[in-house]
Formats: sequence, structure tokens, C-alpha cells
Amino acid sequence: MSLALAGMPHLRLRPRLRRRELGLLVIVALALPLGSASLAATRALGAGTNQPAGGLLLADGVALAWYLGGLFVAHLVLVLSGRRTDQVLLPTVGLLGGISLLLMERLPQGLAGGLGLGRTQLVWLLVSIGLIAVIGALVRSDAWLRLYKYSWAAFGVGLLLVTFAFGHDVNGQRLTLSVGPVTGQPSELLKVILVVFLAGYLSENRPLLIDESTRLGPLRLPPLPYLAPMIAMWALALSIVVVQRDLGAALLFFVVFLLLLYVVTARVSFVVLGLVALLAGGALLYELVPHVRVRVDIWLDPFATASGSGYQVVQALHAFARGGILGTGLGAGLPTIGGAPPIPALHTDFPFAALGEELGLVGIMGILGLYLVVIERGLRIAASAVDDFRAILAAGLSLVIGVQAFIIAAGNLKLIPLTGITLPFISYGGSSLLTNGLVVGLLIALSDRGVEVPRAPSEPHGFGRLRDRGAA
Amino acid sequence: MTPAPPGRRPGIGIALGRVAVALTVAFGALAAGAGYWQVIRSGELSSAPDDAAVIAAGRHVVRGEITDRDGQRLAWSLLDANGEPYRKYLSSSLSGVLGYASRAFGSAGLERAYDAQLTGVTSADPVQDLVKKFRADPSDPQAIQTTLVAQLQEAAVRALGADRGAVVMLDPRTGEVLVLASTPVFDASAVANPDTAMRTFESLQGDLAKPLLPRATQGRYVPGSVFKIVTAIAALGSGAVSADTTFAEQPSAEKDGLLVSGYRVRDGHHPATGSKALDFVGATEVSCNIWYALAGLETGGDALVEWSGKLGFGEPIPFDLRTAVSQVTGGGGSFGGGFKDAVELANAAYGQAETVVTPLQMALVTSTVANDGVLMRPHLVQALTGQAGTRTVDPEVWRRVLPPEIAREIALAMRQAVGGRLGRQFTTGAQVKGLTVAGKSGTAELGGTGEPNSWFIGFAPAEDPEIVIAVVVEQGGRGAERAAPIGGDLLAAWKAWAGR
Repeated sequence: MSLALAGMPHLRLRPRLRRRELGLLVIVALALPLGSASLAATRALGAGTNQPAGGLLLADGVALAWYLGGLFVAHLVLVLSGRRTDQVLLPTVGLLGGISLLLMERLPQGLAGGLGLGRTQLVWLLVSIGLIAVIGALVRSDAWLRLYKYSWAAFGVGLLLVTFAFGHDVNGQRLTLSVGPVTGQPSELLKVILVVFLAGYLSENRPLLIDESTRLGPLRLPPLPYLAPMIAMWALALSIVVVQRDLGAALLFFVVFLLLLYVVTARVSFVVLGLVALLAGGALLYELVPHVRVRVDIWLDPFATASGSGYQVVQALHAFARGGILGTGLGAGLPTIGGAPPIPALHTDFPFAALGEELGLVGIMGILGLYLVVIERGLRIAASAVDDFRAILAAGLSLVIGVQAFIIAAGNLKLIPLTGITLPFISYGGSSLLTNGLVVGLLIALSDRGVEVPRAPSEPHGFGRLRDRGAA
Repeated sequence: MTPAPPGRRPGIGIALGRVAVALTVAFGALAAGAGYWQVIRSGELSSAPDDAAVIAAGRHVVRGEITDRDGQRLAWSLLDANGEPYRKYLSSSLSGVLGYASRAFGSAGLERAYDAQLTGVTSADPVQDLVKKFRADPSDPQAIQTTLVAQLQEAAVRALGADRGAVVMLDPRTGEVLVLASTPVFDASAVANPDTAMRTFESLQGDLAKPLLPRATQGRYVPGSVFKIVTAIAALGSGAVSADTTFAEQPSAEKDGLLVSGYRVRDGHHPATGSKALDFVGATEVSCNIWYALAGLETGGDALVEWSGKLGFGEPIPFDLRTAVSQVTGGGGSFGGGFKDAVELANAAYGQAETVVTPLQMALVTSTVANDGVLMRPHLVQALTGQAGTRTVDPEVWRRVLPPEIAREIALAMRQAVGGRLGRQFTTGAQVKGLTVAGKSGTAELGGTGEPNSWFIGFAPAEDPEIVIAVVVEQGGRGAERAAPIGGDLLAAWKAWAGR
């Protein structure tokens, strides 16, 4: 029973209406055309006419129609699946993706080859939403994740090694791997694999981790051998920084790991120890690795090198400042210098700053609120999960999105050193969108409490089993 | 390997709740961070000359005009053959204050400081700024009325002639700057004109006389004896010395110098005072180095640095233009206030040692004395006018430095230094017919064999001051020879302009 999809032999459609999801999607479907119309109006003004060109009301009506259509089809798929699953996640990430679509349409299209920035992003968004729908509708068993955690871990480490060996450097980071015509960033997928492994490992060893037989000063710790995974994670994070130069992924992995460890053990001492290790590792890297030092120095005072290494960060802060409270309006900000946007790598690393300028503080608050909704729904799914594995898995998946959004947004705002990771569902890029689609799809699937739980051979089931009467 | 224990154990729900709270707090921190940049720092960053929107606007927007306080046009825009705007200036005498705005070479001076307002990226009215996204054309280029007087500015540059130097004139009652001149001047119109920009700018950059340096605000000079007024403010203000204080060792040290820790502080030439121990007014009238060295030692390094800090030393002056920092000492020493030893303090007290000042800073020192001890914040712009209306800049007290009676004691000494029987020998030419002038000259030794810098600071009318002046002429010789006569000429020109 490895990959149990909807029992194909006895496929029976029992549609179940999802009123709340539909209602929220209608709001999304009203909000996004308004944004698109605002963008079109701004463009028309810029072109010197008061009438939108050719009577067209929307900036790119076709792309928007495709996108909204994709969202409703995903809704329909989930309705047809007939499962009692979360109804808030799809509209929430749908709105984030829609904001991304408007932003990418608004930026110079030449930033991506082929279809152009907006249309390419549209394709990836549609694939990502398709992934959410398919996984949310069809994945009913978690055994394929639960039972093969070490295989997944080995796969993840293998991916890391392959990327290191065969990947090519982009912007000084070795993150990109090409297989034939397909190019991707494996570290995006790695974060999901990591969560799967941690969910398996931590749920299995929970009783032992809670044990506190070792004392280190005021800290009570579990037996030393069980600290090994923490040390391994720490080493993994450090090596990712050194080898791949990927500060963001390393920080994300380690913070998610610490939070999950806390969820499992409820021991603050772990978090304290972990943060000490994080700071120690950071200090070590600062001394030893030049690019870490550069990043930290830029963070401490970007204005000192405003026309050199601090340029990007300073330009982002200027963008936030230009936005003010209400923003400049979509399409009215981001003054171009020589035809290029003011911030290098804006579409991948700084969409948050771009939205800060065009949507203002109000818009920023809204976007942060959307991420909080995703986190809150994810943790709620975790809290009501039938067993530890699912709880940790759901918590880990929602934390991956929440913590990643925090790290890059905080980097944009100069609250922490800037790291080049993506803003989930908003940054340009296929790897990121696909992975986050996978994450949200799994969360929706996990929210179905009727999902079968693999039976443990000997132990009796806890009261969690009693709750899922509807499953049978 | 033990299989995963099924079923849920207590505790996870609570821990998840705490994680949710922690992440909510973290996102709250993000919102606060966004608020910091988008509200608190918004105005400052979005109107900075190196902001992308300001730069972009500078290339195609017709900038607002700049006028002097009487409405005389100082800078305006013309259109080139392609219909793109470029800048034209009334006179090259304004180059040290207005700077330039050039498509190819960016901007400098007032053009740079007010780039955002002149191009209309920020509006004169903060409420308009908030809702400007709803207007069809959000830009609102504003005209700037300065506090300058074009004819006095012209007169100052003419008086400095071929010399390098600077003149600052301001109204001590309001802080309004009437003249901010720096020589050599340059042709800002030629920098702004696209046809001549390249050629002009390159030759200016290579010019050893550094015409692009705005000396009035960014030139750092050894002050010499004009710094004695700062020492007087510190000494009398802190109470370490009173106007009656005399030093018994002073008369006898005139001949061979005053021995301070093995170093001899020597005096200039004032043979007429004889063996009489000088008091504050007497020492100021004849510019007695030894009295001031002793007064400085009596005051102490800490108090001298603290009081000069009240006058604006040690930090950039809050002004419309960027200013260089004036200092009493290089700092780092352990003697008090950062002085290395008693010798440095004694020398600094009469304006030598590591002491360096900007002409604007010396004008502010003088302004404090002239305005009964109250230092007004200096300003160069009095009104900004755009579609959103006019924003006027009101006079503002920057610091209350001295009680009025001590300021008047120092003012009296400065009056004696210009009008007194002995004083007038040191400030020849500073007197103006029909106007009582108070002031102080300075001769700043630069070491080596070169001519000293020539200084004059002063104000008029002495009984009810309305104008302050600071003049420095690089290597102009003794204060009385070069700077003091310029001061007298310009005060006379001011008198004619003001119709007194």
C-alpha cells in the first residue's frame, strides 16, 4: 500500500459542496480583476491617454481569465473528490498567486525568456494549482511518506550531492541543476523531503526525546545519542551554506527543525540550545566564509556601501519608503533606470519590496495576513491530526511556507541579513511554485481526518482512532 | 527499529499553539519593520537625491524655479532641441550654494538637496503626498524661494576676487542665510547645458583650485584667533572665567612666551598693553593668545568640547545643505574632552592645534553672541510653492546657548575689538560709516612657510544686531589685511541693501 490513490477500481464520485471555498474564491475573483484594471488604468495614463487602450479594461485579461479559471477548476476537482478537507487554503494561496501574476505582468517582460515574465509565471501558477487540486483530491494515504523516511532522507542527501557535483553556479550560488531541458532548484524540493523525514523521525522517537536524563548546566536534555539528529541538522545547514552558498535554505531548514523539535518535546531548552548553536554557527561562518561576512556587513549598514555591495538592499528600502502607507498603485512605482527596475533580481528576491512600493503598508499588511492564514490553517490541521506523524508533517509543511516567507520578507526589510530564497507563491520561478503547490496540496489532503492511518503491528490505537468514524 | 507509536500524545496541541503565537509575533515584527520604512523613514528616503524616483524624475521633469528672497530668478529651466529640459543660472556667483543639476552628472548643492521638491516627487503638502496616487499626474514640481540676496552674493564673490575663500552672511534673529559664497566659482549653466556639460565638468574636476568644493559649508579651516570667541563662550558660559578675570603670569610671559608643559605659547604683537594684566575685554581687543591659553586651561578640555558642541561642533549642522563637521580637537587623547595634553588645549584655546572649522560654523558662533545667546537654526529656503499650495519655513530656535548677559559681555568685547583704540589696529577696514560693527579677526597659521588664512567674523549694528558675517580668505595674510576689509565692504553693501 505504497501510493494509495483514490481506489481506482471502485471509483465513485460523491461530490460534496465546498461553500466556504467557493465564497472565498468569488472574493478572489472580484479582487484580482480590480487590481488588473488599476494596472491597466495606470498604464493608460502613462501612455498619455485617459482611455485604456483599445477599450481593454484589464492589463492582461486572457492571463487573468486562465488563472481564475484554473482556480475554479481546482475547486471543482476538490468538490468532486467529495472529501471533507480544508476550504481556506486554496483561496488564500490563490490570492497570493494572483498578486504574483499581476506583479509579473507589470515588470519588464524581458526578465524571463520565451513567453515573457507574466505568461511564464502564469504557466507555473496553473501547474502549481493543478498540483494542489490533484494531491488534495487523490492522496488518501500517507504511508508512502511515513514508511520510507530514510529512503526519502537518502534521496534528499543524494539530491544535494548531485546538485553540488553537477549543478551550475547562478549569482554565486550553486543551486541550479539541469537535466536535459529541465532546469530546477532541488533545494526547494529538499525542504519538503526534510519535513517528511523529520515527521517520521521525531514521531518515532518522541518518547525518548522527551526523556531528560542528561543535564548540561541549567538545561535538561535527552540522552546524548538522541541529540545526534540535532547535531546532524546543524552540520547539514552549515554545509549548505559553505558548499551551496545558500544561506536562506540553511536558515529555513534549521529553524523549521527547531520549531518541530519544540512541537514534539515542548522543551524550551531545545530551542535555546538550538539558537545558541545557530548563533555560534553564524559567528563561525562569519569568520570563515567571505560571502557570509559580506552579507552580514551589508545588513549592519547597507547605506555605507549604497552604490556598491549594499545597492540592492538600499534600493529595496527606498522602494518601501516610496510606497508609504497607501502605495503608489500597481504599475505606478518602481521607477526604471535605463529601462530596468531599480532593484536587481526584483522578481525573484525582492517581490516583497516591489509590492511594498506599489501596494503600500496597507498591502504589505494584507499579504502578511494571508501568510498568517496559511500558517494558522496548517497548524490547525496539525492540531487536529489523528497521530503524531501527521501532526508533525502538517506542522512542518505549514512552517516551511511561513518561515520561508518570514526569512525573505525580513531580509527585504533589513530585519535580518538578506538571503536569496523565494517568497512562497509570489516570487517568480517554477521550482518554488511547484514545491509550494505540493506543500499546500499535502496540507489539504492531511486535513481530511477520514484518511486511513497505517496500522501499527502491535500497539492498540489511541483515542484518535475513535474520532474517524466517518472514514470507514 | 520500533514502529511509530500511533495515536496522539498530549502536549502537541499546546506546543503547536505556542508556535502559532511565536510566528504571529514574528509576522507582527515584519509589519512593524515595514511600518518603520514606510512611515517613519518614508519621507527622508523617498526624497533623498539618490532615490531612483528622484533620479528618474530629474531626467524629464521641468524643475521648479529658484528665486532669491526678493523674487529675483536665480535658476530656471530651458528646453533643448529634443524638448528635454536643462537648467540655466543667473550668475556663476551662486555656484557654491545652488550647485547644479545636470542630466549627465547628477546634481549638487541646493539643487541636490531639494531634488525631490524641485522635480515634484514629494509634494509641499503631506496630505497631498498620501493621496497623490489618485491624481492623474502625481508629480508636483515646486518653486523654491530662498533667503539669499542675489546682489549681496554677487558682492561677496567680487570682494573675494581671485582668492580662494568663503563668505557667510546670515540674520542672527531668524537664522536666514543671505549670502553663502565660495570662490573660485564655476559656470553651473555650462555644467547643466548638455552641449557643454562634458567638457566643463571634466575641466572642473581636474582643477587644483577645487571650484566644486562648496567652501562655506564644507571647507574646513584652521580658525586662528576667531576661535577665541568660542573659548570665551565656553569660559564665561561655564563660569570658569569671568569678564574680570586676569592672570598674574600673563604680562610677564608676553616677552618670551608662556611655558605650558615645556611648550612656549607665544603671543602676537600687542606691545601697547605693557605690564598691565589684561581682563576679558582687554585680552579680546588685542587678541591676547596668552590670556586665552590660560583661560582655556582654566576652563578645561571637557568644558571647551561640551560648549563648542552646543554651538554645533562635532556633528553635521542641521542645514539645507550638507555640512562638514567642525572640531575643537582631533580627539582620542586622555587629557579631557579628547585633548592629548595641556599644550594642545592651550593652543586650541586661541584657534590653533587640531582645531578646524567651517565658515558656516563660525557664522553660527557669531550669531549666538549677536542674538543674546540664542542660536537660531540656519536655513536657506523660506518657501516652497507647488500646485498643492505654499509651504513656508519658519524661524526656529536651535539651541539656547548662553544667558543674555554673558552674550552681551562677549558682544561688548567684540565691539571693542573693532572700535577700540587698540582693537581697530587688528581689524582695519571692518568699520562702516554710520554702522557700529562688532567683530574679531583671525590669522590662522598653517605651519610651513605659506601665508596664513585670513579670517573675520562680525555683526552689525552692534547695539541691535541684524546681520552676521564670517569671511575666510585662504592664504590671505593677516586677518586685518584681507578678511576684515572684505567684512567692512560687505556690511556696507548690506546696509545699502537693507536701506538703513
